[in-house]
Amino acid sequence: MTEKKFDPVIVGFFCNWCTSAAADLAGTSRLHYPASIRPIRVMCSSTVDPVYLVRALQEGADATILGGCHPGDCHYITGNYKARRRVAIVKTVLKSLGFDETRVLLEWISGSEGPKFARVMNEYTDYIKKRGPSDFKYLDSLGGEKVD
Amino acid sequence: MTENEMLKKFIRDGFEKGVKEAVMARSETKDSYTYALITKKEDVDKLTPIAPVMQWNGADILRRITKLKKSERKLLAILRPCESRTYKELVKFNQINPENIIVLTYDCPGTVHARNYKYEPTESEKLIEEMKSGKISNKVRESCRVCEYPTPIKGVGDIGLGIVNTTEPVFFSLSDKGKEFLAGMGISEGERDDSSWVKLHRDNREKWLKEERITGGRKGLEEFLSSCLNCHNCKDMCPICFCKECFFEDHSVFDYESNKFYNWADDKDGIRLPTDKSLFHVGRLIHMGTSCIGCGLCQQACPMDIPLYRLFGIVGNDLQKVFNYKPGVNDDIPPVMDFREDELHEFEGLFGGEE
Repeated sequence: MTEKKFDPVIVGFFCNWCTSAAADLAGTSRLHYPASIRPIRVMCSSTVDPVYLVRALQEGADATILGGCHPGDCHYITGNYKARRRVAIVKTVLKSLGFDETRVLLEWISGSEGPKFARVMNEYTDYIKKRGPSDFKYLDSLGGEKVD
Repeated sequence: MTENEMLKKFIRDGFEKGVKEAVMARSETKDSYTYALITKKEDVDKLTPIAPVMQWNGADILRRITKLKKSERKLLAILRPCESRTYKELVKFNQINPENIIVLTYDCPGTVHARNYKYEPTESEKLIEEMKSGKISNKVRESCRVCEYPTPIKGVGDIGLGIVNTTEPVFFSLSDKGKEFLAGMGISEGERDDSSWVKLHRDNREKWLKEERITGGRKGLEEFLSSCLNCHNCKDMCPICFCKECFFEDHSVFDYESNKFYNWADDKDGIRLPTDKSLFHVGRLIHMGTSCIGCGLCQQACPMDIPLYRLFGIVGNDLQKVFNYKPGVNDDIPPVMDFREDELHEFEGLFGGEE
């Protein structure tokens, strides 16, 4: 048996007004992006409690993306600024406990940026493929000895 | 006259002069000290304002008192410095209505672990004596040894009582409200230098922040929490965890079909149950870490003696550095309630913001 190729699972929380629209645009423009992205549409990037990001990481995702509108363009005026603070908190906690904080990604992708959406998803999937499976996934499990 | 007797006289005089109508301070029980609320002059002798243990955070109790309505009587609350910082923080979170409340705080000698006190009682006078000789007692809790602000701070609370570096304890005001109160009592304000007592703690803290850090990602965290019972006592005692409904208390959030568990066990070569044990602590850090004032009650409440303050205190310190925020010492808005339009670009994108 050959070793199974590592196929990452990346959970994306995409805001309804910008990043989800960009995902639609990327689809209708026939741009290719990897199937490892599992998009979840949320009304605003700030509706995502940061605990859901770490919970996704623990329950089996190798990385998470939070996608929102560009600063200043939020449909709810200030939602994405709050989301940025929350991501900063999650990343700092992960880093200071010695986890890999690049497993959480915050990206601003507006509704007209279909090509940017495809590019970011491609780049991030390549990056996670290089990093290998996530350490956080094995929190409170018996396995994952080889993961660093 | 000891500090406790002096404070009792202060309370009695306050009742006589009519500047206050109620007092919240600690009172002795068989094995410990709890908070007590008195409204009559005759009850003053039942109090021990400076107690050697801290079972509860006093700010959390003030939150309960003013939960539904502001304080209807003029209340004097005698709090430790860490409790007064919590008070300040909870006022910012709109959890305490500060109207009609006067907070008195003092140079803190530290507190003994509540369980140690039960089996090996000690007197606060002894702790105060050691403080006066410029030495942190080896009986006090870890969080007290590395306390960042063991003395009253200007603007936090209303009245301070200086004990270190002075022959007679001195009262001084920390706010305009306190100044008025002291004037009403006819007490002249004194001064004392607390820098050596603060420095002693800060040096300990510097060393502690470097040495006790939990590292190593999953392995480190799992080892640190290996004896955790998932009892959530640390959350219950935490004064910053004031939410009525907690994400981690609603267990239906973690309800799954049995196949989900089997699939996880397949994928991860076996899982430990319940699955949210370590996630609870990481989640709590994310929610309250930016406002951790360092009372160390999480550690005291842990039935398995996990040194939890090393987790919440050190990671909380990192978080507070990111936002340049010190909880409970000034009027800055807590990071989770505020934002700037131009900040934190290093957390955007994969490699720090650049396109």
